[in-house]
Amino acid sequence: MTTLTKTEDASAPTGPESFLSVRDLKVTFSTEDGPVKAVDGLSFDVQRGKTLGIVGESGSGKSVTNLTILGLHSPRTTTVDGEIVMDGKELITASEKELEQLRGNKMAMIFQDPLTALSPFYTVGRQLSEPFMKHRGASKKEAKDRAIEMLTKVGIPQPKTRFDDYPHQFSGGMRQRAMIAMALMCDPDLLIADEPTTALDVTVQAQILDLLKDLQQEFGSAIIFITHDLGVISQMADDLLVMYAGRAVERGSAREVMSTPKHPYTWGLLSSMPRLDSNLDEALEPIPGAPPSLLTPPDGCRFHPRCAYTDLVPGNQCSTTRPPLGDGRASACHLTAEQKQTLFIDKIQPRLR
Amino acid sequence: MMSHRSRTARAVVVALAAGSLALTACSKNEGGKSNADSKKDQKQAATQSQAVAYIDAAGSTGPAKDVPGAKAGGTIQVYQEAGLSHLDPGQIYVSDAGQIANLLFRRLTQFQEDDKGNVSVAGDLATDSGQSSDGGKTWTFKLKDGVKDQNGNAITSADVRHSVERLYAKFIFDGPTYLQTWLAGDANSADYRKQLPGGGFDGKHLPASVLDTPDDKTVVFHFDKPRPDLPQTLAMAGYAIVPEKADTKEKYDTAPVATGPYKIAEYKVGKVMKLVKNTNWDPKTDSVRHQYVDGFNFQFGVTESTQTKRLIADQGDNKNTIQFTGSVEATQIQDVVGNPEISKRTIKGYQPYVMQLDFNLDRVKDKKVREAVTYAVNSKSLIAGEGGAYGGDVAPNYFAPTLPGYEATYDPYGRLKTPQGNIEKAKEILKDVPAAEKKLVFAYSNSEAGQKRKVAIEDALTKVGIDVVAKEIDSASYYEQIGKLNNPYDIYISGWGQDWPSPSTVVTPVYDPSQVFDGSANYSHVKDPKVDALIKKAVTQEPTEAAATWKEAQHYLLENVIPAAPLWYTKQLQLFGSNIGGARYSSVSSYIDVTRLYLKS
Amino acid sequence: MLQFIIRRTLGAVVTLFLIGAATFFLFVAAPSDYASLACGKDCSPQRLADIREALGLNLPVAQQFWDFMTGIFMGRDFPTGHCSAPCLGQSFYSGEMVWSTIMDRFPLTLTLTVGGSIVFLVVGIGAGMLAAFRRGSFVDKFATGASMVLSSFQIYFLGPIVLVILVYSTGLMEDPKYVPLTQDPVGWFVGMSIPVCVMATIFTAQYTRMARSSMIEQLAEEHVRTARAKGMSKKYVFFRYAWRGSLIPIVTVFGIDFSAMLGGAVVTELTFSLQGIGRLAVNGATTKDLPLTMGVMLVGAFFILIVNILTDIAYAFIDPRVRLS
Repeated sequence: MTTLTKTEDASAPTGPESFLSVRDLKVTFSTEDGPVKAVDGLSFDVQRGKTLGIVGESGSGKSVTNLTILGLHSPRTTTVDGEIVMDGKELITASEKELEQLRGNKMAMIFQDPLTALSPFYTVGRQLSEPFMKHRGASKKEAKDRAIEMLTKVGIPQPKTRFDDYPHQFSGGMRQRAMIAMALMCDPDLLIADEPTTALDVTVQAQILDLLKDLQQEFGSAIIFITHDLGVISQMADDLLVMYAGRAVERGSAREVMSTPKHPYTWGLLSSMPRLDSNLDEALEPIPGAPPSLLTPPDGCRFHPRCAYTDLVPGNQCSTTRPPLGDGRASACHLTAEQKQTLFIDKIQPRLR
Repeated sequence: MMSHRSRTARAVVVALAAGSLALTACSKNEGGKSNADSKKDQKQAATQSQAVAYIDAAGSTGPAKDVPGAKAGGTIQVYQEAGLSHLDPGQIYVSDAGQIANLLFRRLTQFQEDDKGNVSVAGDLATDSGQSSDGGKTWTFKLKDGVKDQNGNAITSADVRHSVERLYAKFIFDGPTYLQTWLAGDANSADYRKQLPGGGFDGKHLPASVLDTPDDKTVVFHFDKPRPDLPQTLAMAGYAIVPEKADTKEKYDTAPVATGPYKIAEYKVGKVMKLVKNTNWDPKTDSVRHQYVDGFNFQFGVTESTQTKRLIADQGDNKNTIQFTGSVEATQIQDVVGNPEISKRTIKGYQPYVMQLDFNLDRVKDKKVREAVTYAVNSKSLIAGEGGAYGGDVAPNYFAPTLPGYEATYDPYGRLKTPQGNIEKAKEILKDVPAAEKKLVFAYSNSEAGQKRKVAIEDALTKVGIDVVAKEIDSASYYEQIGKLNNPYDIYISGWGQDWPSPSTVVTPVYDPSQVFDGSANYSHVKDPKVDALIKKAVTQEPTEAAATWKEAQHYLLENVIPAAPLWYTKQLQLFGSNIGGARYSSVSSYIDVTRLYLKS
Repeated sequence: MLQFIIRRTLGAVVTLFLIGAATFFLFVAAPSDYASLACGKDCSPQRLADIREALGLNLPVAQQFWDFMTGIFMGRDFPTGHCSAPCLGQSFYSGEMVWSTIMDRFPLTLTLTVGGSIVFLVVGIGAGMLAAFRRGSFVDKFATGASMVLSSFQIYFLGPIVLVILVYSTGLMEDPKYVPLTQDPVGWFVGMSIPVCVMATIFTAQYTRMARSSMIEQLAEEHVRTARAKGMSKKYVFFRYAWRGSLIPIVTVFGIDFSAMLGGAVVTELTFSLQGIGRLAVNGATTKDLPLTMGVMLVGAFFILIVNILTDIAYAFIDPRVRLS
């Protein structure tokens, strides 16, 4: 959060109804080996009551993006450029104090592993009450009532007694519910869920997803849902953003992206996803190669070293020129729309169904 | 014995030299002239190493001659590292307790030193140094009038008898045994306790034919052979008086009753001890001791390193402080002697110890090897490891400069000319010696000093073609290990000092064939009939006659038997505060003379 | 909790017995004993036997051990008098009752230990926390640098330097000495201030580094980030969330240090010529003074076990996860 450069690339759709709008976000960590561009020119919008899914492999920058929105990156080692506007408020330039007022209040986050994300030293009740007391100026009693109300809402049995339990006395699913209850204590307008179900088994996962959807209906929050699991995202998200090596490579509604993906990376993601109805003998197709080092990212399209279709693009465009991501339904790839369609129909689709 | 042990395993003072009675010159030094000093020390020591004179009644009466400039009053602070092992006189055989005994306890006789360092024996409780009759087999002592213990009770012959008889009791086990074994006679000396199992506590006493007290003031000792050294023996702290009424047996060891100029006011074992004036001590009855200061405050547990640093600094109460039996720490010797202001606050002189490299005669049987090693050893580098000229001097023979009969120039192996060793000569002697015999197992202590000695010995012997196999021994049990009769070592370093200024307390324990047993000081296991005969002859001779016999014995040992290679004489260097007056080296105790100290202001 | 304490106490008693037995029999198995060291000059077999008898070393080893162990609970009688429970025997060397010797030296050791602990905990943890809170700032760099330099010092190096500066060359302060607190509180404070501070300095450096790194580690914990994500202030999170977790390694190390110091700080005691438990232990071992060594070992082990239990209780207070287990 140091310097703010003027955003020139306002390429993403800017609806007036956008609750959160991220423009040309650049996050750079300085490390001993040199700067790491964890997020490199990312733009997206989220509307109230809608869910934006962000998918991508580990290290693609999805978690960093969301920590940056909350301002939880380490200011000592991180440089942030771009623009994050939530409900008309610029967050990158906001003071620590202003951010504190927003965190847990207007925007809240659900973390991946509730075992480590909840403090082992304090009761669940206390951890729930804290933000309510802080943001609403509530008394201990009021906060406790609210916490019990929220614990009830997320489906914790005997919330009154569980209030005084420690996180380690909860089961995994219960902990995640408590975590969600904590995030919802102050009716946040923006809820960021960072792989909230990864650590859970499938039945619990479904319950949690249902819970989130129900709660969204009730509170009308905007949700950013981060995952690497396309199966989960298809149930949850309205819109989808696919990230690769710190950049967005494809955007669109969840339905569009899932049914007619346009970026070779998205194809790879879909091909490597197991499906319940697929033939067991059919081998999954992993994406060849490994994600690039963000210390020395490849020039041009960052996916090009792993991409099977660079030959189809004239010249060395893939390795020299960064493909732009257009507005609305779009993908950042040098292939022509026709090429994408042909390739998808001929090579990819047969593998998916 | 063994200053060596005192330096390496300080805590084991029990095993240290007994009240080592040395004859040395040198009370003060001018500082900074170490080499010259060494020569001077030697010269003075040599002129004084004559047999001790026995003083008559006139010389045994008090008060003692005043120390010039002495003032009364004040309290002297005393630093001491290890706690005292014993305070019961019967248990006292070591230097630290012996040193404090000089302030607390009186004996039948005592050593008296003049300003030149000449030592003689005077009467202490006795009116004189003792009257012998029957060719030295009977000794009679008359007690002085007006001698009282700290409780005001007069000391009678019954108290003297009790002091002797209690030494037969089981609870007395650490003190000297000369008197008891002599009284028991040759036939019973090994088990003298059987002569009086009750130690006199059960109403049974030694027969009048052994120890007689015809009246309150007279004590008579009867022996089966002449005991010319008796006045010196009785001057040992171990034979000090324990008043019969005051004796608490085992408990006496921490709360003794004083007869000397000071008494114990407070004592916390191993921590502090406060001595105050004993008002029942009458200076008119004492020809040696003074009572200038009001008392002494002992602080135990102060390391020699700290003692030296504090005394160098000479701040506050350290001005009134002395080292008791501690020495200037080796690494700080230069800081002390290099600064004239500090150096004038030292006392120094020879200790009674001769350090030597013993040959285990049961293993090193080839005399040529022993001779060659004696030529080869490097006294110079050994002394360097002891702190240089202030730590020791080259020893050309077995008699220390403190011993009557010391011959400064008796040097059969040319040690004084070639202190670094005569390599050529040694090689020549070894020319025809088979290789198997040129391998020697050398035992050394794992202390810092021991390591240095190991290097010096190894270097020297390797140069002449001897294969040295060095074996390390835990420093605490070093003397115990080399004292074992069947020890697996060929050569090892040991030190020995006299109990009183007579070669009988050196040659007898170290070279007498009857002393070959586990734990004895005859580390070389010498079993030579001629030595035996000479010892038997000398111990019954008057000191002046005996001197010639001892000389013969030493020459024969060093030239014909070669049980050990003489290495170096140890030296004493102690520091005291600037307000301490009357400080001088006591050739009797080989420490600062505590009986004549005063505070300048 | 009560059950836990009872169980641990019983365990400690058994451990103490085993430590006592091990010390005793190792000692007896050693090649030389006190008698042969003490025998010294004129060591005839008769004399050696006399010493052994006087000290009770002639009795069967099992009996000696039994007498020693029962003495702890029942007291013992010696020729010099009765030794009431807890009787740790009579020192071979000084003839003093070991229990009273230890009790005599203990106040000094306690002063060093508690005094030193207070200084290095307050200063060390304070500096470490501050450095972690202002990571990368001048304060941090200074604290890190200073603790690096200081922790490479040793007491036997720093001690004499401080003594030369404050005592020997300037006379600003007197030689360190121990005066009982009850007798002269000012003298106690002044006399012990140099040793306590020098010893604490070395520890302070370690604790600064430990507190800092432990704190930084905790600040990177996910639950700390969660607390921040809830909108709690940096300070609040630092002192409520991160601080508590960072205490665990500090408590662990402190427990070890504290009990070790109670067992005697040999180097500090030697450097300043003080008489505490540490030098007793060294003296006991070098002179083969069996009762003294046994006594010091048992008292030291006792403290280690007690502090161990206290450390475990402290864990339970800090971290609810270890409660009731």
